[in-house]
Amino acid sequence: MLGLYRFLKYSAILLWSAFVAGPFLWALTTSFKTSEGIVSGATYIPWLQYKPSLDGWGVLFRRGGQGIDIVDPYLASLTVTLSASAISLVLGTLAAYGLSRFSYKAGPIKNADITFFFISQRIMPPIVLSIPFFLMLQAFGLLDTKLGLIIVYVALLMPIAVWVMIDFFHNIPVELDETAMLDGCRPVETFFRVILPNCKPGLVVAGLFCLIFGWNDFFFAFMLTFTKTQLLPVAVVALNSSVTPWWSLSASALVSVAPLVILAFVVEKYLSRGNLAGAIK
Amino acid sequence: MLVSRQKLIFLLPGLLVLVAIIIFPLLFTIRVSFSSWDVMYPGLDWIGGKNYSRLFSDSRFWESLQRLAGIAVGTVVIEYLLGFGLALLVWKEVRYKRFFRVLFLVPMMTTPVIMSVIWRTIFHESLGPLNNILGFLGLGQVPWLSTAGMAVVSVMMVEIWQWTPFMFLLLLAGLLSLPKEPFQAAAIDGAGPFRTFFMVTFPLMAPISIGTLIIRLIEASKIMETVYVLTSGGPGTATETSSYYIYIRGLRDFQIGYAASLSVTYLVLMILALTILAKFLVRAFISKDKA
Amino acid sequence: MSLIIDNVSKSVDGEIHLQDIHLTMQKGSFNTLLGPTLSGKTSLLRLLAGLDKPTSGRIMMGGQDLSSIPVWKRNVSMVYQQFINYPHLDIYENIAFPLRRAGLAKAEIDRKVRATAETLRIDELLRRSPGELSGGQQQRTALARSLVKGADLLLLDEPLINLDYKLREEFHDEFTNIFADNRDTIIIYSSTDPLESLLLGGDILVLDEGRQLQHGPTHDVYRNPRMEAVARVFNDPQMNMINGRVENGRIVLGQGLTLPRSTHMTDLREGKYRFGLRANALGLSRASADDVELEARVELGEINGSETFVHIHHNEVSWVVQEDGVHTHSLGQVIRVYFNPEYLFAFDEKGMLAAAPKYVPGSGTAEE
Repeated sequence: MLGLYRFLKYSAILLWSAFVAGPFLWALTTSFKTSEGIVSGATYIPWLQYKPSLDGWGVLFRRGGQGIDIVDPYLASLTVTLSASAISLVLGTLAAYGLSRFSYKAGPIKNADITFFFISQRIMPPIVLSIPFFLMLQAFGLLDTKLGLIIVYVALLMPIAVWVMIDFFHNIPVELDETAMLDGCRPVETFFRVILPNCKPGLVVAGLFCLIFGWNDFFFAFMLTFTKTQLLPVAVVALNSSVTPWWSLSASALVSVAPLVILAFVVEKYLSRGNLAGAIK
Repeated sequence: MLVSRQKLIFLLPGLLVLVAIIIFPLLFTIRVSFSSWDVMYPGLDWIGGKNYSRLFSDSRFWESLQRLAGIAVGTVVIEYLLGFGLALLVWKEVRYKRFFRVLFLVPMMTTPVIMSVIWRTIFHESLGPLNNILGFLGLGQVPWLSTAGMAVVSVMMVEIWQWTPFMFLLLLAGLLSLPKEPFQAAAIDGAGPFRTFFMVTFPLMAPISIGTLIIRLIEASKIMETVYVLTSGGPGTATETSSYYIYIRGLRDFQIGYAASLSVTYLVLMILALTILAKFLVRAFISKDKA
Repeated sequence: MSLIIDNVSKSVDGEIHLQDIHLTMQKGSFNTLLGPTLSGKTSLLRLLAGLDKPTSGRIMMGGQDLSSIPVWKRNVSMVYQQFINYPHLDIYENIAFPLRRAGLAKAEIDRKVRATAETLRIDELLRRSPGELSGGQQQRTALARSLVKGADLLLLDEPLINLDYKLREEFHDEFTNIFADNRDTIIIYSSTDPLESLLLGGDILVLDEGRQLQHGPTHDVYRNPRMEAVARVFNDPQMNMINGRVENGRIVLGQGLTLPRSTHMTDLREGKYRFGLRANALGLSRASADDVELEARVELGEINGSETFVHIHHNEVSWVVQEDGVHTHSLGQVIRVYFNPEYLFAFDEKGMLAAAPKYVPGSGTAEE
């Protein structure tokens, strides 16, 4: 009975692992193929089923002519995502702290309403905002620039940071803040000297979520940039035509998704923690 | 007291930035929805509710909403069941638990459009591995992207692959934060694993389940990128979701005014539907709890 | 420098937490704040700390109204029920934190931190982080941090409630030393435990349902509770209260237990009274020739630490007897209990004290 249960359990785990890993493994093997390796139908094992080549990887770093040049979009994506995530994290964490510790009032608007305003931004479908964003950035001359995208992404990512951090701050006893104030800290000093140093688990999770949704956005990058600025997802999807060079497509896809996947393994211990505020009892 | 001035330092920067970025686009979209802005005559002329009366008889829009509802609810329910199951699998002692926990999260970390491009090669009917494997197993060939029914299945499959990890993450975090006492009590009462699950685990997870389902429904209501890459809404309009239809009207046909009215209607309906769904979920989970 | 609490009230959302608190505390005094849970102890401490604002009234310190001074500029320390320390700092830095904020010189900080840590016997733990310490050690750290800065006002909000019985006793012994040579600080210690307040001595403020019932030297208040409510709060187990009357020069308890009028009752006018008798004034054996004997049925035996509380029933009235040591009594058993009428309190119909015993039971001699 127990043996069967264990067998089923590990089978289920392995089956899902295969489903999760399948597309990556397929992309990995495809990235070493040439056109002959593609047109002869699905093959999996290099040397045995097809002759591996590094062409798919080579073109990624070549400019002009035959090259695809993934380096510039890569750097652009890094700049935009990191800047927008950092700004969102800073502003979002401050706002979340304020909302979790003080009461604000402006007419009938109270804390709960402000919190809802922040978080409800996630309901907004990108398509609803895309046209006005386009016109707004055009008006400010920010169309097709990194700065324009950073501004748009801040609106996308700040709600995520607020959502994660409010939850986190609610788990820190308010007596900790009070003790700091009694020990001579103003509210701002209390936050920076006492609360912030104890926020690492929350900041890691909030930061990772910001990076995920920023790095992985396609729609706004596609809508709001054209030639001067090109982000990674747009560059990769541009390869998705009928005469797709599957090998370089696969290689570029792997290069694009690698950073966050690696980051996930690095910050693993923060992700599966039950209580995100586990560091502070 | 002085606190009242200092507390604004925390809230205002974020709030003002968000208001500045969001409010203009939102108000502008509403204004544009009352104009006939298109590729020939761009501008904010006032045509009253004409766009809105047009969309009432635009069956393609209403069909896209129905389709979206079906796809979103379908994928989220499947994601919830799978995510809960997976979280239960790696909740307790499992070998290489930490490795599997992260591995299960990986799809969520990847760019949806980019992975959709890879999925498109996997679904390829003659050169892709999926039909190759089915053929090897003697199950025949499946027209993954070229027939209406299978195209919907394909889109849902990619969505499930991408977002089950998100469910998994939040549900696992929920499971790990559960108190131990109810489980000890159930064990003392001699409850088996199934009774323990339905009498203890599931009721305790109800609030987290509701929250997770709502968050995912919100995100799923925006499905568009997967469709854009995999099927472009096709074959025909078989996989056309509301976002994608608005995209076609607004950014392909450049009927900006009409697309804006579609956007506003879509947003209002989304908020209504999600509010009703949230209420329904609360009742469904909490009443089960008491029964 | 004295602390004046001038007619302070506090209500939150229409609910009254504190009403008309009015008293003065002197520099160098030790005050306990005794009251049951939700009696307003924490509310009062938070007002004094400046963490909350009174709804009405003023709090003055050294002649200055405190309401205009923000928390971080007041020289106040507070220790909470929960063990609150800075998780990211080690014990040394935790204790040094308020000193660093005050801008003291390095050498001075070091000297003070080490001296305070030694007083609280955590000098071996200075490089550990709070998360690695036991509850008792964490609370010692919090105490050290609150003591080190030499605050004008030191507030302790039931600091030992989350520790076990043994550790609490250990702390009580040490507190006598720690607070002994206090000259400059007003210390306010809140507690739900009458015994704890008696051990700590000093002055006491008895609170109940947000009202200030009595303020004065702890032992005076214990001996002369101004009203029945004070006697109720200040006794654990609660004081036995029996309706009765003074009639024809004699005292009648309950349905007809007639006693001679003892010396402290001679001034009482005839009429109805409520008579109080501490549980520890009742015994299972005769202690003196004046003792009155009751035959009573055992309703419940309750063992509390090293004492047994026997709930008995005599002639329609329930009593609690506090017995030293652990004893078992079978329910329904009929036993004889004794008490000396010298130990009876009398409260008038308004609940105010009419007569208090001259002696405190236990030693058998007058305690002055």
